[in-house]
Amino acid sequence: MKTGTNKACCILLLALVGFLAGCRGDAGREVTEDVLALSWEQVEASARGTTVNLMMWPGDPLINAYMQGYVRPALKEQCGIELAIAGGQGSIIVQNLMAELQAGKAESELDLMWINGETFYQLRQIDALFGPWTGRLPNAQYIDFDNPFIGIDFQQPVDGYECPWGNVQMAFIYDSLKVPDPPENREELFTFVQNNPGRFTIDNQFTGLAFLKACLIDIAGGAGVLNGPFNEEKYLTYAPQLWAYIRQLKPYLWKEGRTFPEGVAPMHQMFANGELWFTMSYNDNEVDNKVLQGLFPESARAYAWEVGTIQNSHFLGISRNSPNKAGAMVVSNFLASPEAQYKKQDPAVWGDGTVLAVDKLPEEWQDKFRALPSRRYAPTRAEMKEKALMELAPEYMIRLAEDFRKEIIQKN
Amino acid sequence: MQKTSTYIGLGLFLALTAIPLLLGIGYALLFSLGLTGILSEGFTLEHWRAVLRSAAFWESIVFSAYVALVSIGMAVSLALFVVVRRPHTFEKGPLSFFIYLPLALPAIVMAFFIFQMMSKAGFLSRLAFQLGLTRSLGHFPDWVNGQYGIGIITAHFLMALPFFLILYTQMYRHEGMRALMQQAYTLGATRRQAAWRVAAPALFRRSFATVVLYLLFVMGSYEIPLLLGSQSRQMVSVLTIQKLQRFNLDDIPQAYTISVLYSMAVIVLALSSLPAYKWSGRKLFNRSRTVLKE
Repeated sequence: MKTGTNKACCILLLALVGFLAGCRGDAGREVTEDVLALSWEQVEASARGTTVNLMMWPGDPLINAYMQGYVRPALKEQCGIELAIAGGQGSIIVQNLMAELQAGKAESELDLMWINGETFYQLRQIDALFGPWTGRLPNAQYIDFDNPFIGIDFQQPVDGYECPWGNVQMAFIYDSLKVPDPPENREELFTFVQNNPGRFTIDNQFTGLAFLKACLIDIAGGAGVLNGPFNEEKYLTYAPQLWAYIRQLKPYLWKEGRTFPEGVAPMHQMFANGELWFTMSYNDNEVDNKVLQGLFPESARAYAWEVGTIQNSHFLGISRNSPNKAGAMVVSNFLASPEAQYKKQDPAVWGDGTVLAVDKLPEEWQDKFRALPSRRYAPTRAEMKEKALMELAPEYMIRLAEDFRKEIIQKN
Repeated sequence: MQKTSTYIGLGLFLALTAIPLLLGIGYALLFSLGLTGILSEGFTLEHWRAVLRSAAFWESIVFSAYVALVSIGMAVSLALFVVVRRPHTFEKGPLSFFIYLPLALPAIVMAFFIFQMMSKAGFLSRLAFQLGLTRSLGHFPDWVNGQYGIGIITAHFLMALPFFLILYTQMYRHEGMRALMQQAYTLGATRRQAAWRVAAPALFRRSFATVVLYLLFVMGSYEIPLLLGSQSRQMVSVLTIQKLQRFNLDDIPQAYTISVLYSMAVIVLALSSLPAYKWSGRKLFNRSRTVLKE
């Protein structure tokens, strides 16, 4: 018995020692603060043989296949970099970096992160991003920074702190067999939900908020009216009209608007099994992906209503305390290359819109981009772009999320 | 030597469990008071005031308690009923093996299972439609993501029932329940009296601390209410994570405030269940004597 107790104590002691050893600093990993002073050749040389830790949203099998099956082997072969991918998005990235900064950790566990405007805003709030660095990338010459949907993120200039990676537009997805004539504006949507109660809803995350933003812009008077920094006065003028409209819809929404799906994944599932007749996506090409995967019926179609839908870009950011900034820059440069962007835009691969200005590319790449297979179930990118709305300042999203809870979810 | 080992064991236990927990609560307290955190601007009670004045917080506490009491209440009652009526059912044979399987299911898997079974487009809804019990899938009741947490309660009930069945079967076998029942019969108790006035109260009271701990576990559960719950009635863990991880970084101190309040409530409840357990043991002893005398 005594021997047993001693053994247990030894095991616990070893566990404690292991735990404490795990807590020690990261001595031995070189922090490359002066990476911006190096030439690109030196950056590449410095990155060769290293591991880059990337945190990204892991929720789509096609995206994961692109990263694991194409990006990782290509980086290893072309740049000698091992790309380690960890799952996590928005809030997880912010929480991780915040915890590291609060703990005074000199070196971050994350080198590179897949982010968008709201996360960019939060990371700038806590000063967790490295930069400006994107101007150093050779492939930056091809990036369409003059396009406000690419060079401006949620009304914030990117200022070299994040590298554009992809460009998408929110789209409604509907079943054309059940909805032959989808609603084009707020009035038509109200009529539709009245006639078809329980078949429409919005999610309680980014995409649902993008729908609310589009409605707010429409109420305020259309594209551009709410551009620029957050305007409290405008918000207080238009938001009550938005909530009045959503309250009108509420009794006819899925579950009578008492609850909303936590993300688009459950909406897609309910759309696939016929419980919902509409779902939505922040990627206008997702309908093609999902039909190709067999998840959506072939009668599924995507569209942007005449009110317009939000178009935005997603980006790559480097953490301020990344110990491998050179590696992160080389990975970003590869991901922004014509080769990787071309592969990514193929609807059968990912279907993510390119951030490159195709007309700036060498002739052969221009031809390749133009020859990419077009989508079958969604309007062309040019058609979608005609109805594109710019993202609003992040504070609009924060206020809309809070007020959606107060004004809609909690008021029964 | 024995004493030294005990002290080392106790020290390690404290180092690995109690101290990290207390440090975590201490950190959360400092964060909630604005005394730490990247965005903190110095000491403030504003976050505590905001949480304590928030209807959503109090509703989440009441809803969490409701879900825990109903699901565990049903599981404990049914487990007691089965074990007292048929104490040997789970001792031998295939059931004694299969009863362990649900315990191996992660909460998220159980949540998905319930979602597929009980949602409007789920298996039960389709069955009801095929049997002509509903006019369309949409007419199936709101058992998932509904206001009364029926999906959450069912998931917790299904996870807790095997646990309590095994617990009570083992207790029945090892805690002299057979002898106690035999003594009751000898003294003239009917089968019903022996089961419901001797065995069931004895088993329940001996498991009281476990029942309280399981209640607290259910109150703090996350994955099941996240998938099966409604946003207008949230369990406390879902509300906390929402405050912690949503779009407004200024809400983070409120998440820490809720976690401090909830941790304090859990510690008080857990500690208070211990004397109640001892008290119930004494009361049980006296009551058993009375029943046997009758």
